[in-house]
Amino acid sequence: MIFNSFDFFIFLPIVFVIYWFIFNKKTQTQNAFILVASYIFYGLWDWRFLFLILASTIVDFYIGQAIYNNTLKKKRKAYLWISVVFNIGLLGFFKYYNFFIESWVDFISMTGYEISNTWTLKIILPVGISFYTFQTMSYSLDIYYKRLTPTKNFLSFATFVSFFPQLVAGPIERASNLLTQITSKRNFKYQQCTEGLKLILWGLFKKIVIADSIAPIVDDIFMNYNEYSASTLILGVSLFSFQVYGDFSGYSDIAIGTAKLFGIELMSNFKFPIFSRNVAEYWQRWHVSLSTWFRHYVYIPLGGSRVSKLKSVRNIIIIFLISGFWHGANWTFIAWGAIHALLFIPVFLMGRNRIYMNTVVAENSWLPSIKEFAQITLTFILVTFSRVFFRSQSITDAFGFLEQMYTHFTFEIYQHPQGYRMIDYFVLIGCFVVYEFRIRRDERSPFKFKSKIVRFIAYALVILGMLLFFDDSIDRSFIYFQF
Amino acid sequence: MKKLILKSTLYIFLIVMVLEGIVRVFHLGKDTPTRFLDPQKVEKWKPNQNGYSVTGNRRQNFSEYHINSSGYNSYREFTPTYDKTEIALVGDSFIEGFHQDYYNSIGKKMENLLPQVEVYEYGYAGYDFADQLHLIHSYKKEFDAIDHVILGIKFSNDLTRNTYQVVTGRLNLESPINKMLKKSKLLVYCKSIGVLDPPQEFVHRLINTLKRKKKPAPIHTNEALKLKQEKEKEYLANFKSLINKYGYDKRRFTLLLDSRITSPIFLSYLKQNDFSFIDFAPAFEASKKPTTLIYDRHWNNQGRSLIANAINNYLVNIDLNRNKLKLPKD
Repeated sequence: MIFNSFDFFIFLPIVFVIYWFIFNKKTQTQNAFILVASYIFYGLWDWRFLFLILASTIVDFYIGQAIYNNTLKKKRKAYLWISVVFNIGLLGFFKYYNFFIESWVDFISMTGYEISNTWTLKIILPVGISFYTFQTMSYSLDIYYKRLTPTKNFLSFATFVSFFPQLVAGPIERASNLLTQITSKRNFKYQQCTEGLKLILWGLFKKIVIADSIAPIVDDIFMNYNEYSASTLILGVSLFSFQVYGDFSGYSDIAIGTAKLFGIELMSNFKFPIFSRNVAEYWQRWHVSLSTWFRHYVYIPLGGSRVSKLKSVRNIIIIFLISGFWHGANWTFIAWGAIHALLFIPVFLMGRNRIYMNTVVAENSWLPSIKEFAQITLTFILVTFSRVFFRSQSITDAFGFLEQMYTHFTFEIYQHPQGYRMIDYFVLIGCFVVYEFRIRRDERSPFKFKSKIVRFIAYALVILGMLLFFDDSIDRSFIYFQF
Repeated sequence: MKKLILKSTLYIFLIVMVLEGIVRVFHLGKDTPTRFLDPQKVEKWKPNQNGYSVTGNRRQNFSEYHINSSGYNSYREFTPTYDKTEIALVGDSFIEGFHQDYYNSIGKKMENLLPQVEVYEYGYAGYDFADQLHLIHSYKKEFDAIDHVILGIKFSNDLTRNTYQVVTGRLNLESPINKMLKKSKLLVYCKSIGVLDPPQEFVHRLINTLKRKKKPAPIHTNEALKLKQEKEKEYLANFKSLINKYGYDKRRFTLLLDSRITSPIFLSYLKQNDFSFIDFAPAFEASKKPTTLIYDRHWNNQGRSLIANAINNYLVNIDLNRNKLKLPKD
């Protein structure tokens, strides 16, 4: 079941009403109900993979207790390794097995030996596996680092692992935030519910209007890149930047909004990354739950920035490569991670990686300064350039795309084969950027207007936008489901 | 909770009202003319209606229609006489042409090419070959006064019946409930852009799940080929049956078809039995510009010009004016 489907439109109100009207007396019954709802939500996609979630839940529940109950460091470490190996093993098998086999076969063939590839398997990638395995691993890691006391309630833990709003594409939650809320009594709060509904509406807008409507244009340009000139290729990759942002941040908004309806606050995942002033700020604003995960559980344990500059640079390269690889079993993602490492390192060496941590662009003014505008533009260009690798099917395609850009460095007006009226999309993206800039201070309040009438007009325009750009003929699944 | 439900309901109501207004002001939704069944049991549009046809979410195609007193979309009235030269185009939505301004239709384009000829477009969405022959049969007097009749035919769609019967499904769209629903332009707009498809699919899925309908077994290639051949035979038999029942004047009637999507069996039958036909496939294949609309598979201006040219060339070849083929008055 996906958030932008009619099934979810029916599912959500039913679950909401039962949750608050029937099971509102006891937290445990609410949790049990949410667990069942989450398993239905996931099982409607493919019920067989529920066993994987259940296995991951059982393993980390008992390992968490074992780590906590043992005082011997060796034993604690051994239990932690079981959790890590189990979760990484699940990921490794379902997500990376074929990649490793194919890469090995390619490597051998490069040395002059030919071996037939008979080991690859037809494996379906379980939706959300990269997200829930990281979430359960973080639970064991937090207990190991003595940042968390394990829960003794299996039901609560299972609900934490499979909480349907964030099960398939995050935000990747820490137990210290989500599990604590799951074990506590929740009360219905009108304010929280309306905030949730507004976030769902804004998320749907980003998904349906921004991401889905430009997807066919991006698909055409990337599929036929060798027929287009540089101007069209630049247009394609720029639009892809907006597509992937609309898609993933839209999903996150719907997830956070849905969780709010059940009295749960999830962490923010996107904080207007399109207005980042350097690559470091970009990573503080893009897929926050993943970047903080890597910082807490990989970068800091490796020494972070408290070690020598050289080692810090090594740590940065490691987390960006792993982060790239996390996105998919393809060299394109590793190259994408490597590019981001190369973009990040100069910012880090100049000591500018934390300067924008607590500020937003045009902090005290209506418009960004010329300097800020130039910074935002440069960051957007660099990040967008890296997306050539993120979006291409293979490394060969990515380099082919760049080569085509270089060899056909001309301007031509792009015309979609089906004759889409391109001006509509340019106006749309322009309006979207202006609106996002207007709300840039608070990612959780997309409709923050003093006047009720203005707010109402904004709701009406957002829904009108959904109608104007609704396209039933395209694949409506979320891009990050494949990760 | 009560506050949430009440406020949400109020907001939804107000937003629907605003959207209804916007759809009306910007004319985003199409107008739907009224259908009716005339005394001869011919389904057509209620005479003398005007409106606009809209395609796409954002008015990507916007055109005006005018239903004349005969119940068809045309800029002119149909007044066949034995003194003038008239051509009738009979067919489905492609001939009906709601996707074009009524004053820029195929018929108008033909008249521009042949100034001495009047072209009557008897087009109605959904008309198959049975509808077409039944119309000609029912209005025999009028059609006898017309010099030449061109019948648009799509082999895979238009020969599924061997006799004419009123299509109640289409006329049900004029039921009081549907008429009432059509008054909401927002609803019409949502339906036309596919917003209402997911709920409908959901209901169908639910019904199928409750009924536990068995999934149809997959059909193998050989079996599919056999089924296709059987269907082609059936359609050919229907063609024969229809022309026997309602009559078909080979001298004055010509079929308009696309050989790319027409069965070779049917084409060879037409050739062997001296049925005239105009094949517009070569003209469409040679066209450098697209021939159909963007958000719709109907012919665009280029496609309509090619069709008008193809018919015009055919009529010039048969020397229409020198061979007055009208039937005698008595």
